[in-house]
Amino acid sequence: MDLEKFKVHGEPLIYGAMVSIALATIGILVGLTYFKKWGYLWREWLTTVDHKKIGVMYILAALLMLFRGGVDAMMMRLQTAAPEMKFLDAQHYNEVFTTHGLIMILFMAMPFIIGLMNVIIPLQIGARDVAFPRLNAVSFWLFFFGAMLLNISFVIGGSPDAGWSAYFPLASLEFSPTVGNNYYSLALQISGIGTLITGVNFIVTILKMRAPGMTLMKMPMFTWSVLITNIIIVFAFPVLTVALALMMFDRLFGSQFFTMANGGMDMLWANLFWVWGHPEVYIVILPAFGIYSEIIATFSKKNLYGYTSMVFSMVIISLLSFLVWAHHFYTMGQGVMVNSFFSITTMAIAVPTGVKIFNWLFTLRKGRITFTTPMLYTLAFIPIFTIGGVTGVMLAMASADYQYHNTMFLVAHFHYVLIPGAVFAVIAGFHYWFPKVFGFRLNERLGKHAFWWIIISFNVTFFPLFFLGLMGMTRRMYTYSEETGFGPLNMLSFAGAVGLAIGFVLLVYNIYWSTRYMPRDTTSDPWDGRTLEWATPSPIPAYNFAVVPKVKSLDPFWEAKQKKVSLFEDKITKIHLPNNTGKPFILGVIFFFLGFFLVFSMWVPAIVAGVGVIVMLAAMSFDQDHGFYVSAEEVIATEKKLRGETV
Amino acid sequence: MKIDASKPLEYSTEENSNKIFGFWVFLGAEIPLFATLFTVYFVMVNRFADGPSGPELFEIGPVLAETFLLLTSSFTIGLAVHAMRLGHKKAMMIFMGITLLMGLGFIGIEIDEFFTYVHEGATLQTSGFLSSLFVLLGTHGAHVSFGFLWGVGIMIQLWRRGITPATANKTFIFSLFWHFLDVVWIFIFSFVYLKGLM
Amino acid sequence: MIKQLFPIRHVMGYLASLVLSAAALIVIYGDLSHAANVVVLTVTAIIQASLQLFVFMHIGESADTKKELYINIAYALFVGLITLFGTLFIFVWGWYA
Repeated sequence: MDLEKFKVHGEPLIYGAMVSIALATIGILVGLTYFKKWGYLWREWLTTVDHKKIGVMYILAALLMLFRGGVDAMMMRLQTAAPEMKFLDAQHYNEVFTTHGLIMILFMAMPFIIGLMNVIIPLQIGARDVAFPRLNAVSFWLFFFGAMLLNISFVIGGSPDAGWSAYFPLASLEFSPTVGNNYYSLALQISGIGTLITGVNFIVTILKMRAPGMTLMKMPMFTWSVLITNIIIVFAFPVLTVALALMMFDRLFGSQFFTMANGGMDMLWANLFWVWGHPEVYIVILPAFGIYSEIIATFSKKNLYGYTSMVFSMVIISLLSFLVWAHHFYTMGQGVMVNSFFSITTMAIAVPTGVKIFNWLFTLRKGRITFTTPMLYTLAFIPIFTIGGVTGVMLAMASADYQYHNTMFLVAHFHYVLIPGAVFAVIAGFHYWFPKVFGFRLNERLGKHAFWWIIISFNVTFFPLFFLGLMGMTRRMYTYSEETGFGPLNMLSFAGAVGLAIGFVLLVYNIYWSTRYMPRDTTSDPWDGRTLEWATPSPIPAYNFAVVPKVKSLDPFWEAKQKKVSLFEDKITKIHLPNNTGKPFILGVIFFFLGFFLVFSMWVPAIVAGVGVIVMLAAMSFDQDHGFYVSAEEVIATEKKLRGETV
Repeated sequence: MKIDASKPLEYSTEENSNKIFGFWVFLGAEIPLFATLFTVYFVMVNRFADGPSGPELFEIGPVLAETFLLLTSSFTIGLAVHAMRLGHKKAMMIFMGITLLMGLGFIGIEIDEFFTYVHEGATLQTSGFLSSLFVLLGTHGAHVSFGFLWGVGIMIQLWRRGITPATANKTFIFSLFWHFLDVVWIFIFSFVYLKGLM
Repeated sequence: MIKQLFPIRHVMGYLASLVLSAAALIVIYGDLSHAANVVVLTVTAIIQASLQLFVFMHIGESADTKKELYINIAYALFVGLITLFGTLFIFVWGWYA
């Protein structure tokens, strides 16, 4: 066999990456063996079907990917910090901006959000688990191994290098002859299937497993936002599935979908990509709206202003998000009618979004506001996101877009939307729900230090890009000459990027510091919360609620605390729980190899792996696993222990 | 596990009725999936380059046979679920067996058709039109093939374990899948073949 | 026994689907205008799909999820049709060429 195609040549940085990946892997393996943690890892994590642990694994993976994507970002900012920099060559720069986009959207923002929703949603609706716990594990492992497949591309065979949107004809075999875009089509496909399954799982969970009395209009806002998000996931991801499959057929089997000869149509890829891609933006932003709504209500000590209009604005956003995709390629050459139509639908989205902004402001009005770290991120989000939104309306005007298209102005715009709209939200949610999962808070002082570093540096990094765009700097250019005058602002932006890195390091340090030194939280309700997740002890027992709560109003826990009544009326009885299973993990591993063999067109091993997938599915179908019961006595003992009473 | 005797067996536990609902949501995802494949087909339908066009390629005979097989199999899987609700295990197994055999017949005809096309010089690589045709038909055919394997697996479980809440639930979900494939085929029959030939 | 195993609803549904498929053949063997042909195909296909949905798949059967199932199908059709007609609008009907 020809080993040459597996190798990546020429870059000291890549050799460095190879060595560090190898060392880290060896380090983990040795560490696990030395501390005898293999059994623990397998029993408690790899085979778990507990939504809380799966959520924690999603968030850990997302933090890792945040680091990886962040390093990519630093390399890009360094390379463009001054004219004629020689830090990266053009090819390497292409790979870096492509993987930065893919990782940040699909393997950082999405899993972070899915992780939070895994941990929180069943608690917020008073359920003992998600509807299909084993399927939930399948989702996670497909996502995880999809992400791993994309990450190894860096050192085996070469990364995708045609942008995260992978436009044809550039992404075709003719113009991108490395296996990079094969990795793109397969890694995204595998993790995309996992996401689709998550979508189905959470729709069923939210619609069918709510505690008695919790009608749709009594659901917490985060639950509503997650429901709408999962509806978008279920209907938008199939389009990506098809687009990626067609890309794979074009690259591996020579079909003529996106070619420039024999009747192919290169821009059809862009079309399909954005039919999925625009709703995808709302998939990462709507849950963020939900998180902010929870935090604002909690730390203003008021119920959310305009609950009904919040719900309807999200429903409208979800429908409109499917009607705007052509604004990503106004300059393709379609007719005026087309551009006018999509211009109007795009601007229309600003209306429901504006409704939400005003609702948050009115919730804050006359509230008793406490400035905790999650609240600070929320308050910073409102103005910053508004800048992102307003520049979005500028871009929505088709004729004006001919000027901004593919410039740094666009790059600044979507970072101003996605960072406050997704990243700040998951960080805020992370600080907010951390004590629920781990039983202690993150340190406030360190948290606020990190916050100020991140907020200020974010603006220093991205605000100059608006001006660079208007000066004519296009995105994705790896270097420029001194005469362009782009130098000073790019240097400023690089300085901001360094500040952002410091902020994120502080954030991670805070996790370490708090784990060691923060006092344990004994109240299980450290923020004086409003919704059901604060009604169960922290850390949360495996069965979530000893007794299923009875809900009578919105913000049931707050209501119960005010009226000094209990949500839990029934007696404790035995509780049914699902058994752990290793099959989802094994399925993920097989999918990983299937993807890898297809990337390198190794047909025989790929067929073997494909058969392996079918065998695994059959094995899961034939399984007769009815789970187990926790006895009432055991539940009572656990509850006493968790609530600090002596048995 | 609580069993609610007032409902049909396949809905009788909470888990069962969640699974049925979840599968409907999944079928909801299949609708945009096939809609996207139809989109690609309609954009590509006149882009046949130097290769053959639809009217030059299509023959009505095999298509009618495929349609008849799928429509009938959709009928028999409906009868299988009906027999299941009556508790007739034997009749149910027979109807399911007929369904799967017809599915197999459908796949056979489709493969034969693909061979004919390739023999006439119409391959996946020939033109945008043919790529979109093969992938649309192939995705549907792959669903039928997967359904065949799935159905065999369920029949083995039925044969071994009898009609239980779990197997009844699986059979019902399988029947939803199979009917859905019939719906997709109706659109392929109408808007790919008949529209191509008219 | 036979009567029990072959409920009249299913038999009628099956016969109707065969008749509708045969009726659609008029677009090949008949002599209608192009527009009329497209109407015939659309109408027969939609009726057939509804037959499967209501008669065979029992979409309205479970009272506690009935509304959700209809919303689900409606949303799916919305996205599917928007993708289909939106793309044709962009690349075929609205194209400058």
